[in-house]
Amino acid sequence: MSSTAMKKKVLLMGKSGSGKTSMRSIIFANYIARDTRRLGATIDVEHSHVRFLGNLVLNLWDCGGQDTFMENYFTSQRDNIFRNVEVLIYIFDVESRELEKDMHYYQSCLEAILQNSPDAKVFCLVHKMDLVQEDQRDLIFKEREEDLKRLSRPLACTCFRTSIWDETLYKAWSSIVYQLIPNVQQLETNLRNFAQIIEADEVLLFERATFLVISHYQCKEQRDAHRFEKISNIIKQFKLSCSKLAASFQSMEVRNSNFAAFIDVFTSNTYVMVIMSDPSIPSAATLINIRNARKHFEKLERVDGPKHSLHMRMR
Amino acid sequence: MEEENRPLLSPEPAGESCSNRGSTDSLDFKAKRPFHVEPRNIVDNDPQERVSAEAAILNSRVHYYSRLTASSDRLLSPPNHVIPGPEELYIYSPLGTAFKVTGSDPSSKNPSIITIFAIWNTMMGTSILSIPWGMKQAGFTLGILILIFTGLLMLYCCFVVLKSPKAIPYVDTSDWEFPDVCRYYFGKFGQWSSLIFSMVSLIGAMVVYWVLMSNFLYNSGQFIYNYAHDVKMSDSEFGTNGSDKVICPFPNTNPRGNHSMGTLYLGNSGNETSSSDVSFEHWWSKTKTIPLYLIPLLLPLLCFRSASFFARFTFLGTISVVYLIALVTLKAVHLGFHLEFHWFDTTQFYVPEFRLLFPQFTGVLTLAFFIHNCIITLMKSNRNQENNVRDLSVAYLLVGLTYLYVGVLIFAAFPSPPLFKDCIEPNFLDNFPSSDVTVFVARTFLLFQMVTVYPLLGYLVRVQVMGQIFGNHYPSFFHILALNIIIVGAGVLMARFYPNIGSIIRFSGATCGLALVFIFPALVHMISRSRQGLLRWPSVLFHSFLIVLGIANLLAQFFI
Repeated sequence: MSSTAMKKKVLLMGKSGSGKTSMRSIIFANYIARDTRRLGATIDVEHSHVRFLGNLVLNLWDCGGQDTFMENYFTSQRDNIFRNVEVLIYIFDVESRELEKDMHYYQSCLEAILQNSPDAKVFCLVHKMDLVQEDQRDLIFKEREEDLKRLSRPLACTCFRTSIWDETLYKAWSSIVYQLIPNVQQLETNLRNFAQIIEADEVLLFERATFLVISHYQCKEQRDAHRFEKISNIIKQFKLSCSKLAASFQSMEVRNSNFAAFIDVFTSNTYVMVIMSDPSIPSAATLINIRNARKHFEKLERVDGPKHSLHMRMR
Repeated sequence: MEEENRPLLSPEPAGESCSNRGSTDSLDFKAKRPFHVEPRNIVDNDPQERVSAEAAILNSRVHYYSRLTASSDRLLSPPNHVIPGPEELYIYSPLGTAFKVTGSDPSSKNPSIITIFAIWNTMMGTSILSIPWGMKQAGFTLGILILIFTGLLMLYCCFVVLKSPKAIPYVDTSDWEFPDVCRYYFGKFGQWSSLIFSMVSLIGAMVVYWVLMSNFLYNSGQFIYNYAHDVKMSDSEFGTNGSDKVICPFPNTNPRGNHSMGTLYLGNSGNETSSSDVSFEHWWSKTKTIPLYLIPLLLPLLCFRSASFFARFTFLGTISVVYLIALVTLKAVHLGFHLEFHWFDTTQFYVPEFRLLFPQFTGVLTLAFFIHNCIITLMKSNRNQENNVRDLSVAYLLVGLTYLYVGVLIFAAFPSPPLFKDCIEPNFLDNFPSSDVTVFVARTFLLFQMVTVYPLLGYLVRVQVMGQIFGNHYPSFFHILALNIIIVGAGVLMARFYPNIGSIIRFSGATCGLALVFIFPALVHMISRSRQGLLRWPSVLFHSFLIVLGIANLLAQFFI
C-alpha cells in the first residue's frame, strides 16, 4: 500500500467562529456561501477541491466547542483526520474568553498529530488581532507565543499574529508557504540569476492556488511595500470572474509606456511574474526567456520529487 | 499580441505621462489609462502621494473581499475600527478627480426653519383643546396676560436647560439630555427624580389621550348612529338654536358655581328616547363602555417592540392642529363675537376679567409649553447653533400665538346671551353637538392621530422605565405587558370616573413643571454659575423666585 496514493493534507483547525472559513475564503479565493456560516460546525471532507502547492489538499475542521454529536464524530474519526498531515495550521481567536479550553483542544490535536503524523509542521495563528489596541498587540502576541511554544513541545510550532484587515495575514501565509517549499533557497538563487539574465526589474514567484509570493527578486528599491498583496488580490478577483464563465486564465501581459508585466504559468506549483521597465525590449523576447526558464525550473522541482516520495515509501 | 509588431513604446520623457493623465478622451492608446486607476496623483499633478499606503491597500482588500461574499452578507465587511477617519477618505470620480469627504458630523443638519417647525410640532399637544377653558377659569384679560407671562417664563427656563450641558467642564456632553445633566449635578437622586417627573408628564399625557379618545370615539359613533337612524338631538341638549349649534353639556343652575372639579353625570338629558336608542346609549356610553372598547385596539399596539412604524404618522398632528385653527376661525366667523368686560364682578352670563381660579390656567400652560425634556436633542440638529436662542424664541412665539388665537377666538365667539361663558368645557369640542359635521371631522382626525401617537408615548415610557430599572429596553414580554396594563388601567379608570381633562392636564403639568421647568433648571443654573464664580445676588434672587413660583403653582392646583 503506497502512501503516495493518499494525498497529503493541510489541516486548518481552530475553535468554531475563530475565522477559519473566512481565512480559507480569502487566501484561496473561494466564495463563501451564506449557509456555510449558519451550520454549527464546519466539516470539510476530503473532497475539497483546493489543491495547495500542487499535491496538498486543504481540510478545514472545527476543533472544540461543538455539540456532543460533533464531538463524538471527531473523536471516532481522529485517526482518519490526523493521518497523512503535512501541515497543521491552528487558529486561535485572540478575543476568546476560554483560553484554558482553547489550549486544551490544541494539545489534544497535537497529541493526535504526534501519533499519526509526527513529521507534520505546526503553525499557530493568533487571529483577529485588529480587535486588540495597537499598542498592546506586540505584548499580547509575545505572551501567547511563549505559552504556545511551551505547550507544543516536543513539536516545534511557528507562531504568527494575523488579521484579515492588515498585511499580517498575507505575510503569515506567505511565510508558511515559504517553509513548505522543499528547495526554496535553490529556487531563490535560480530566480535571481534568471532575473539578471533577462534584465527584469522584478521577478516574483507565486504559489498557484493562492498567489502567495513564494520568492522574489528585485533589482532596486520599490516604492509600494504592499504590492504583493495587491497583485494577489487583483489576480484572485480576476480568477473569480473567470471561474464564473467556467474559464481559467493562463497568462497575462500588461503594459504601458513605463513598464511591461508578464504573468504566466511557470512550474506545476507556481506562477511567475516578470516586470520589465525597459520598454524597448519586445514582448516576444521576454516570453521566450520565460519559456526556456520554465524547463529549467521544472527540472529543479522534479529532482526533489522522487526523493520526496522515496522518503515516504520507506516509512 | 498585436502590439508586438508595432515600434514599441518610443522612448518618451517621464514627465509627459503625468500630463497625459488629464486627457480622458484622447484616442491615443499611449495616453489611455488602465481601467483600474491606482489612486495616487488624482487630485492634482503633485508628485507627492495624496493617498496613504495603508488606505490604498485597505481599498484593495475591501474590493477583493466584497467579491467573496454575497452583497448582503456582512461577514467580510470592514468593521468601524479598521476604516480610516473621515479626513483620510476620498471620493473618486471615474473621470479622474477626487475630493475629500467633508469632516462634518454625519447626521444631517437642519436649517432654522425646520428646527422651529419641529419644536412647534412637538409642543402642540392636546392642551390646545383646554386653552379656552383655562382662559375662562382665569378671566379673559388675566388669561391673556398669564399666557404671555407663563410663555416667557417657560422660554427662559428652556434657555437654561438648553445651555446647561455646555457649562459642564472637562466632560464630553455632546449626547447628553437634561436628565444626564441632573445626574451630573445631583447624583443618582437627580437622575431618578428627573426621570420620575418626566414620566409624570408622559403618563399624564397618555391618560389624557385615553379620555379624549373615548370622548371622540363616543361622539363619532353617536354622529354615525344619528345619521343612520335619523335621530334629531336638537331639543335634548341645552344650547343655542340655529345651524351653528353650541351646547352646554352640563348646565348648572348656579352660574357662579365652581364646577371645574365637579362631575355631573346628566348623561343624555333628553326625555323622549325610543327603546332602541336607550339600548344604544347603554352600549355606547362615553364613560362606562367606550374606554373598555379601546383596550383591545390599543393594548396590542403598545406591546410592539419598535415604535418606528408609528413615528411615520407624526404629520397627522400637524394636520389636526391646522384643521383646528381653521375650524375655530370658521366658528368665530359664524358665531360672531360676544364679549363684555366685567372686571371683577360675576354676572349671569359672563365671567369676571380677573378671577381667583387663574392657577388652573397656569397649570394647563405649564404642560402646554413643556418641551424641556427633549429640547436639547431637538436643537442638536440645528445647522447654525449660534441661532439656537433666536430659533427657540421664535418657536415659543409661534406656539404662544397659536394658543392665544384658539383661546381668544373660542372664548370671544362663545354665544353668551343664551349660554353662560362658564359653560366652556375643558375640551372645547365638547361644546359642539355630535351632529356638527365640521366638528365630527375634527374629532375623527384627532382620534386617528391619537391612536398613532399613543403607542409612541408608550414606547417612550417603556424605554425610559425599562432602561433605568432593568437596563434593557425589552426585558421580556411579561414585563412590558405589566407596564402597559398599568398605563392602560390608569387611563381607563380616569376615563370612567374622572374624565375632566382640564384637571388631569393641570395637575400633571404643575407636577412635572415643578421639577423639570422650575426647580432643576434654576438650581443647575445657580450651581454652575457659582462654580464658575459668576453668581450674583440678583440672579440668586430671581432663580429662587422661580423655584417659589414652581412650588406655588403646584400647591395652588390643590387648594384653588
